[in-house]
Amino acid sequence: MQSITTFFQTLIDGVLIGGVYAVISIGLSLVFGVMHIVNFAHAEFLMLGMFIAWFAWAYAGIDPMLGAFIALIITFFIGMGMQRVLIKPIIGAPQVAQIFLTVGLLFAMENGALLLFGADFRSVSTSYQTQALTLFSGESGRILVPLDKLYAFLMALLSGASLWFFLNRTSWGRAMRATSQDPMAAKLMGINTDKMYMIAFGLGVGTTAFGGAVILPYITASPTVGSQFVVLMFTAVVLGGLGSVAGAVVGGIMVGLIQSFSALILPIQLQNLTLFVIFILVLALKPEGLTARRRS
Amino acid sequence: MTAPILQVQNLTRRFGGLVAVNDVSFELDPGEIVGLIGPNGAGKTTLFNVLTGIYPPSAGQILLRGAPSGGLKPHKIAARGMTKTFQNVALFMESSVLDNVVTGGLLKNTLPEARKKARAILERVGLASIADKKAGDLSFPERARVEVARALCTEPDILLLDEVMAALTPAEMEDVITLVRSLRDEGITFVVVEHHMKAVMKLCERLLVLNFGELIADGTPTDIAQNDRVIEAYLGSSFAKKRQHQAPEVLA
Amino acid sequence: MTRFFYPSLAVVAVTVMSLLPLTLDPQGYEIRILCIAMLFAALGQAWNIVGGLANQISLGHAAYFGIGAYTSTILLRLFSLSPWLGGILGMVLAVLFALLLSVPTVRLKGHYFALATLGAGEAMRVIANSWASVTGGPVGISVPYSRESSLWMMQFPTVLPNYYLFLIALVIICLVFWKIQTGALGFRLRAIKENEQAAEVIGVDTYRAKLIASTVSAAITAFMGTLYAQFQFFFDPDTVFGVATISVKMALIAILGGVGTLLGPLLGAAFIIPMEEFANSYFGASVAGLSQFAYGVILVVIILINPRGLVALIGQIKNRIFSKGGSQ
Repeated sequence: MQSITTFFQTLIDGVLIGGVYAVISIGLSLVFGVMHIVNFAHAEFLMLGMFIAWFAWAYAGIDPMLGAFIALIITFFIGMGMQRVLIKPIIGAPQVAQIFLTVGLLFAMENGALLLFGADFRSVSTSYQTQALTLFSGESGRILVPLDKLYAFLMALLSGASLWFFLNRTSWGRAMRATSQDPMAAKLMGINTDKMYMIAFGLGVGTTAFGGAVILPYITASPTVGSQFVVLMFTAVVLGGLGSVAGAVVGGIMVGLIQSFSALILPIQLQNLTLFVIFILVLALKPEGLTARRRS
Repeated sequence: MTAPILQVQNLTRRFGGLVAVNDVSFELDPGEIVGLIGPNGAGKTTLFNVLTGIYPPSAGQILLRGAPSGGLKPHKIAARGMTKTFQNVALFMESSVLDNVVTGGLLKNTLPEARKKARAILERVGLASIADKKAGDLSFPERARVEVARALCTEPDILLLDEVMAALTPAEMEDVITLVRSLRDEGITFVVVEHHMKAVMKLCERLLVLNFGELIADGTPTDIAQNDRVIEAYLGSSFAKKRQHQAPEVLA
Repeated sequence: MTRFFYPSLAVVAVTVMSLLPLTLDPQGYEIRILCIAMLFAALGQAWNIVGGLANQISLGHAAYFGIGAYTSTILLRLFSLSPWLGGILGMVLAVLFALLLSVPTVRLKGHYFALATLGAGEAMRVIANSWASVTGGPVGISVPYSRESSLWMMQFPTVLPNYYLFLIALVIICLVFWKIQTGALGFRLRAIKENEQAAEVIGVDTYRAKLIASTVSAAITAFMGTLYAQFQFFFDPDTVFGVATISVKMALIAILGGVGTLLGPLLGAAFIIPMEEFANSYFGASVAGLSQFAYGVILVVIILINPRGLVALIGQIKNRIFSKGGSQ
């Protein structure tokens, strides 16, 4: 550590980006928690969210922070449809079928986007992109909070809190949690579990698309952008316990911190390697955390 | 007096705060047929799972032919001569009946030998006619018998049978009892968990009674039927929990 | 009839495959497609040993493939070592990597195993990209080309000898798979697939069986990596360590054809590779992503129609035809 300001700057960077990772990962965890399906294609909805927000910005001048809501709504309905047509038939199917269906979906979506949108990188320009709050300025350096990252973080907090409210304080949320814990019992209680699965998948991909849209001011959109986030997402989710929504938040922030602190000592490509190693080790060493039921 | 083939000393298994098997001690002599009874949730299947290595013991010792076997992996314990059947039936459902049994035979044989052995065992337990059927297509009583055949093919010294007579007709039960007796005569030691009390009383020379994980009685069927703690376990506490359906038979 | 039917079918198939290239231009496009199809049939078969028989769904087999390709190529560049020896060394390294990876993954199942192996394959890709002093980094690495024809150095003036190397490799790998499938290990692996706990209780050393299967599969995959390197003469980390290009493609081919069956990967490769090549040549490289888009769609469709793949589908169709014929 060069100095105390570097430390705090790194900490702030880690938490800001980690908050976004958290929101992106919540959706993945929600889908697993409710349907017990690992959606390998999940990061593609982040890409979709970024593209929707980009088009909203490019053609209607809508700021990505607002475009995120459009992305959420559109992907929510796409997700519901996909759940109905693609995911529903494989609930309870052999795992090899579950895994490769979503892997197939990953390829179809990533390359479908490549065919539709081309390989161009697309970015937005906003007034706040280059601005930053100065938290501290002194001889040892400065601590800055970039506004684009701060706004993304705040939006992430907002969506995380809304999801928490939905799951814990609304009757639909309770029905969804009941479905995740015991689908048979939920059915007997009169809950339409098929509908719950559709809503859960829609919400799961919608939340992730929302997270994708809010980072558009500082990460450029491209059809392959999802692949940058796959390991991040899965590491966050696995760190927090697959299926645990609250765990995904903790895991997301941890991944953000690991990434920003490893950037201090490692070259950029090896940052991801750190995550891979942590990812495999966590899978191996904390299996009980993985199979633990969602607690939130 | 022969040396005991299995010694269980102060065996305990906890799951978090729940003590599923609590300080259980008993011994088995070679060639015994012992019944393990107790109300639902008494810890019978957990005890089997600890003995066969599915769960390591939390405390206590298991001596298999004098050598400690507690905490060994299941396949090592199987190689030392102890295996079990599964209460909920855990066959290889996509494989044929023959292949299920052959897999057991591979523990101590080459593949061609295991095949020969498996066919002989299927003949003996009366499953030869369905040897080529897929295990997943069988009826429940048939599956239970395949479980027994597969376990037998590992050439065990001690075989733990977990409710293999459930859903059998009285005639079929009679067949199983005859089979177990004849296998015992060849030197296999049996521990049998069974809810059908008449069958247990008929088959077993000795009973172990578990209640809430504790061994509350160990004796001949007649002794057990008159044992106060057993009667209390079945009638007293179980009445309240509406699990008394076996109780009249214990007393019968 | 059944006793001799499949062996004779195999003999006929191998004879046809041996004579087929003699009718083709030895430098032509068709023979290259056949080479790639055999390469991926062999890879699918290698994946099938762990993924099909034991249901350990690996999404990281590219790690082994890349290790094989890089080991022989780097040694050839540095010491002019024969790719045969380099390939064997690559197999050894791949086996060591498989053993290392088994420490954290041998107890994992299903999704968790898939995720962990995916991470391991990606880790190798990152390493190959960043360790540029040895691997050449993201720009790739080329096999030094000599004009002389030499079996020892695995270099030939035409593709024809490569074709026979691929064919021999494929035949050997199919025999290995068949031996495992019908042997004691096959029984053990199927037991693990269908009920791991029951397998343990009746005496199957599940760790050992999985380790043997995964090391055999890793070694085969690595050697195919060497054959690929000597066939393509140039490759980069994103190709040989790629998730889409290798890991998923291997699995896709086995699943499409029929997971856990001997014929599956052969059918899968015979279907996928020509289709991919056709799409690429018809639409050209200008339409980037088309073949992978098609992969994705095919994978989704085949799983929704019948997760057991083409072998089962053919069986269904056969049954339908026969039962119709019988009833009329």
